[in-house]
Amino acid sequence: MARPRKVFYRRRKVCKFCADKIDYVDFKDVKLLQQFIPERSKILPRRISGTCARHQRLLQQAIKRARHLALIPFTTD
Amino acid sequence: MRTYELVFVVDPRVSDEDVVAMTQEYKQMITAGGSQVSKEESWGRRKLAYPIAKLNEGKYVLLGIESEGGKSSLPAVEHRMRQNDKILRYLTVRTDEDLKRAASRHPKTAGRAGESPAGPADAAAAAGTGSPGGPAAAAPSAAAGEV
Repeated sequence: MARPRKVFYRRRKVCKFCADKIDYVDFKDVKLLQQFIPERSKILPRRISGTCARHQRLLQQAIKRARHLALIPFTTD
Repeated sequence: MRTYELVFVVDPRVSDEDVVAMTQEYKQMITAGGSQVSKEESWGRRKLAYPIAKLNEGKYVLLGIESEGGKSSLPAVEHRMRQNDKILRYLTVRTDEDLKRAASRHPKTAGRAGESPAGPADAAAAAGTGSPGGPAAAAPSAAAGEV
């Protein structure tokens, strides 16, 4: 007798930037960047956000630039 | 042609007129070096994400710069900014290469991609100045910059 397996439905993650066709991640677009910095202000990993490698790279650069200008925080405590 | 974006943050205790005067001075330096200032935006007083020099606010100014390859006055401008202790932060970013790359990714929406630095940037600037409560501040100088 086969035990009924618990079925997990995992929603397929899609890269937000690919979906929205954003090819240039602007460091001034704080609203956009904020979606990728959770509470501790760390950069949200790809594994969580589903961002593709190319866009994660652009995003990372943009976030670091924005941090330098104090548009978004380095940390929160 | 190379395009750059130069953003700098000024001590909020500096009066608006002085910020304009400072911006003017930097613009002159840029044009004297053979480049053009294609865009000027003042985001006004904005809250800093973390304190810089014990200050919690700053006045943001953005300059868009177009320059022919080779000669550029940007190192000199940056040098001056570093020496000016009223400037809390500055950042120069070269944008033409990234924008070209972005435009080639989606040729169909190339027009939109080309505008993207201005589009979301304006939106972000408007949103940014809107929340601390100075939406009017951004408008006049941004308009004045488009000569």
